[in-house]
Amino acid sequence: MGTDLRQILNCKLLAPFCYCIAFAALAWYFLYVRNADTMYFLQDRGLWNSTDLFWEDCMRLPGGLLAWTGAYLTQFFYHPALGSAMLIALWLLTFWLAKWSLRVPDRWSFVICIPLAALLCSIIQLGYWVYILRDIDYVFYHSLGLLAALLLSVPFWRYLPVGEKPKQWTALVWIPLVAALFYHPLGIYALLAAAIVTAQTLSNSLLRGEKPGESSAKEASPLRGGWVGALLLLLFTLWLVPLVETSRSFLMCPDQAWTYGFHKFELDELRDYSLEVPFYLVLIVPLLLPFLQGLKTKRLLVSQGIMVAVAAAMFYCLSVRDFTDYNFHAEMRMQRGVEECRWDDVLREAARVKGPVTREMVMFRDIALINRGEFCSKRYIYNNESIPPATVSDSIRMRIADQAADLIYFNYGETIFAIRRALERCMHFGYSYYTMRMLTMCALVNGELDNARRYLRLLRRTTFQKQWAEKMQRFVDNQSLMADTEPFRMPLRFYNEGSELVGTDDKYVELTILKKWMYTITQDPVAQEVALGCAMGMRDHNCFWGQVQQYYNINPGKDFPTHVQEAMLFEVYELKMQGVNLSFVKFDEKVVERYKNFISRMKQYAAQGMNEKQIGSLLRPEFGDTYMWDYCVLRQVQTN
Amino acid sequence: MKQLIHKITSRFLLTGFGGAILFLAACSGHPSLPSNFTKADKEPAIWPDYRDVTVPPNIAPLNFMVDSVDDVIAEVSFQDTKFNYGGKDNKVQIDEKEWHEMLTAAKGKSLSVTVYTEKDGKWAAFRPFSINVAEDEIDPYISYRVLPPTFVGYDELSIRQYNLTNSQETTIYNNRIISKDLEGQCVNCHSYQNYRTDNMMFHMRFQHPGTMIVSDGELIFVNLKNNEMISAAAYNSWHPSLPIIAFSTDHTMQSFHTRQVSKVEVMESASDLVIYDVKQNKVQVVLCDSAEMELFPSWSPDGKWLYYCSAHFEYTKKYEDTEELLAKYKTLQYNLYRLSFDAENRTFGEPELIYDAVAKNRSAVQPRLSPDGRHLLFAEGPWGLFHIWHTSADVQMLDIETGQMVNTRPMNSELPESYPSFSSNGRWVLFESRRDDGNYTRTYFAYLDKQGRLHKPFEVPATDPEYFRLFLRSWSRPEFMKEPVRITPRQFYEKALTEPIKVN
Repeated sequence: MGTDLRQILNCKLLAPFCYCIAFAALAWYFLYVRNADTMYFLQDRGLWNSTDLFWEDCMRLPGGLLAWTGAYLTQFFYHPALGSAMLIALWLLTFWLAKWSLRVPDRWSFVICIPLAALLCSIIQLGYWVYILRDIDYVFYHSLGLLAALLLSVPFWRYLPVGEKPKQWTALVWIPLVAALFYHPLGIYALLAAAIVTAQTLSNSLLRGEKPGESSAKEASPLRGGWVGALLLLLFTLWLVPLVETSRSFLMCPDQAWTYGFHKFELDELRDYSLEVPFYLVLIVPLLLPFLQGLKTKRLLVSQGIMVAVAAAMFYCLSVRDFTDYNFHAEMRMQRGVEECRWDDVLREAARVKGPVTREMVMFRDIALINRGEFCSKRYIYNNESIPPATVSDSIRMRIADQAADLIYFNYGETIFAIRRALERCMHFGYSYYTMRMLTMCALVNGELDNARRYLRLLRRTTFQKQWAEKMQRFVDNQSLMADTEPFRMPLRFYNEGSELVGTDDKYVELTILKKWMYTITQDPVAQEVALGCAMGMRDHNCFWGQVQQYYNINPGKDFPTHVQEAMLFEVYELKMQGVNLSFVKFDEKVVERYKNFISRMKQYAAQGMNEKQIGSLLRPEFGDTYMWDYCVLRQVQTN
Repeated sequence: MKQLIHKITSRFLLTGFGGAILFLAACSGHPSLPSNFTKADKEPAIWPDYRDVTVPPNIAPLNFMVDSVDDVIAEVSFQDTKFNYGGKDNKVQIDEKEWHEMLTAAKGKSLSVTVYTEKDGKWAAFRPFSINVAEDEIDPYISYRVLPPTFVGYDELSIRQYNLTNSQETTIYNNRIISKDLEGQCVNCHSYQNYRTDNMMFHMRFQHPGTMIVSDGELIFVNLKNNEMISAAAYNSWHPSLPIIAFSTDHTMQSFHTRQVSKVEVMESASDLVIYDVKQNKVQVVLCDSAEMELFPSWSPDGKWLYYCSAHFEYTKKYEDTEELLAKYKTLQYNLYRLSFDAENRTFGEPELIYDAVAKNRSAVQPRLSPDGRHLLFAEGPWGLFHIWHTSADVQMLDIETGQMVNTRPMNSELPESYPSFSSNGRWVLFESRRDDGNYTRTYFAYLDKQGRLHKPFEVPATDPEYFRLFLRSWSRPEFMKEPVRITPRQFYEKALTEPIKVN
């Protein structure tokens, strides 16, 4: 049995092939199975287009070619399965290139998976950083960089039809040359290429140069005895090349000359080094690969044992670093659902979530309810218990204003505020497909057709947004189509019904919307129900009764929605609102019955000395879907 | 993937041998005009609209494009000289050398341009249009701020310069060289003494705040704020001959509309005027009336007058009550004034009303006097001071001699125009406009002929005619220059790292 296993493992290429399969499966699991929504989101917050302008924009800084190519490839995550497959294919290519170029022995080839796993980790660990990521090319950038560095370190001079001496000099010259020639397109990965060439040279020199009797020694050791010189040459190159590049640039920060292409997780005063660990591995491990051929062990099981340990550590690290927060993923799915007007999916997602939700999820759900005409009849069926804004790296709070404020404003018809927030994000993080779509839709609602045309012109030059651009072009050509077509149907209505004010949101998106709408007096039944719901949400008694009156005026004979009935009963009988005549209201008997039961049970529990929290949890199974429960248990109006 | 390969090969391989071959091929000839075409009895719709514009004889080629066609060829002619351009796609890109030769020959006359377009294999010829060539040259450079049409953030913001004779752009300063935080560094209010760059300045805000001043070629970094000033110095104007810069100092605020497409209102809750002597490093207060909001100082070319605008506003509750200001923002309307200046004693006369915009229920800001002192340019809108956000804002021109308004309709549009200025010879008006789409600010030039008439303006030419359609940033606050800025971005950066000098 042992012999069979040894034979199998000794079979040429079988071991690395198995490693590839295992790694590909692992990567697929983490990329596609667990993070498809994140990957879609990442591509959507990126931008690639085929204009020269975009190319020039990318090429202004070192690493520009990687940025451009990375942005191009990232867009394939529009179909997460396709993007995942492409990225995994790139990693497998990198594996075989590293193995071939750096002559990594079969049994040790699993070590190549370490930087590849680090690259995978760098993507799945992002969490809320995806909202504030400046690099639109992030997903592919570093993978392409590593591949490029390995390509450039292929010792092609071995195949030159010249004598040994010229080969030696070529190897020596290649170290500074590769850094100097490729620093601009590849950034730090050109420096990595130079370092790998040096590592190869050193490994040849150290591992084989001591055995002059071997025939391969002369070929493989161009710098035999001169490895110190090679090392010094490398250090000089690494120091000089970025300096020269910086001196020619009007854009590069001179104090960061050596880090272009290295992703720093830096925001204001915060720098999260833990998120940068994968990139350190990407830069360091390839330098060790040339030395693996020097590892001599006759016991196959030793290397295989190490392999198992590395694989286990890798899986553990990936599992721990994978950002699994439910709300984070649900929020992304809901955002996409709102943008694509899949209201049922948004509500399904809202119903599925168990614990407290983010305010952004509350707002997405409300938008779906509004579009379904259920804002005042089903809002309290869903969980309104919310948590403070999420943080990135434990200190910076992510607020709606930083995330999808534009989409939310747009759906409430507040297109100017939506544009404001979209452009602020563009300023910080660059334009993206998402932002350009938002700006286009807002421009259409505002009647700024030339502006819409500008964005559509660019979106038509992307790979996956063309269809959307063509769809929008119909509305540019014929604006009357907007009134009855998603995604404009409701926003346009609200835009027309909303009032002109001058002010600012101070980054409180939800509060701004609620406050504006609860004061809005409109004759439009749909918009008025939103105004009524906002007044209920804000628990403003005067606004609520004003909107109740307005609802009655414009919907004569129509029953009040369930939650409005609950609120009216609660306001009058529990909060003792004076001067209200409820005789004109036709209450649903079930609503009245539930209200009575709720109040009586609440008082009963209170008499037993229970606190609010205890009462709330006891009443939740039966009354958690009512306005009263929300009002009594979720004491603070939670907005963001 | 095909596009990726194409891009990489075209960029890298074509810069070498392949590029040389293509270059030679391109230089070897001009496209032939189609032999079969139908005649269209109208002028072509071209972008940018250069039809019947008046241009200076030293301007860069006016490249243009035609939408929704497969191919376009333009025959540009002057007398017996004719050149055809285009023939590759829907863009016409004119050879620079031939263009300049034609312009030189056509001074005071017109070029004729006939456009042929091809769609689905069928060619059409349009009625020729003219490009009128003035005899007066334009200053060869402009500088401007480049930023998205944003409101608060300034992550990437730069001041750039553009050679109008060959459409080459270079960077004067880009805040990315120094920015680290999310909010970045604001750079603004670049200005020059007499269109020259050995005396120039611009401000930096937030990160490494201060004012970069080039004084007789020497770079200094100053903290232009003392106890007498309500804020650091802001809008400015160099005295034409003395080492003096006039500034307004102010508190700025902004609020957003919920429905108006003008989107934002920028207001000053307080503002004064000061002058700063660069050599003596000394600030002198000029105007500080709490009921007047004085802004946008601008020296007359002879240095004897300081023009500015001012709005009268009295707070009823407390000084700088922003809520009151916001409630009454439409009443904040500016008139144009001037003060006489005694250069020897550094004293100013009493304010003299030059243009009563308030009487017309308008607001006039950003005054600029022509080099001959005859015409006063300014931006006029319904209220406030940031007219680039006001749809109805126009550039206006007052004839100082006659007191009459010059007809500026030929250069204005339905969308905002703002920030006008004169070229050093007074024949060209430079202004910013959002006429392209209402959001992205672009730079335009209009010719002011010797009879005082303004001609149809033209957009700053670009090598790629599609550039301004695709560029998602605004060019704001353009200024003429006779020469490029020689201080490098790196020098500005290194200076910004030093401690700014405090003013007295």
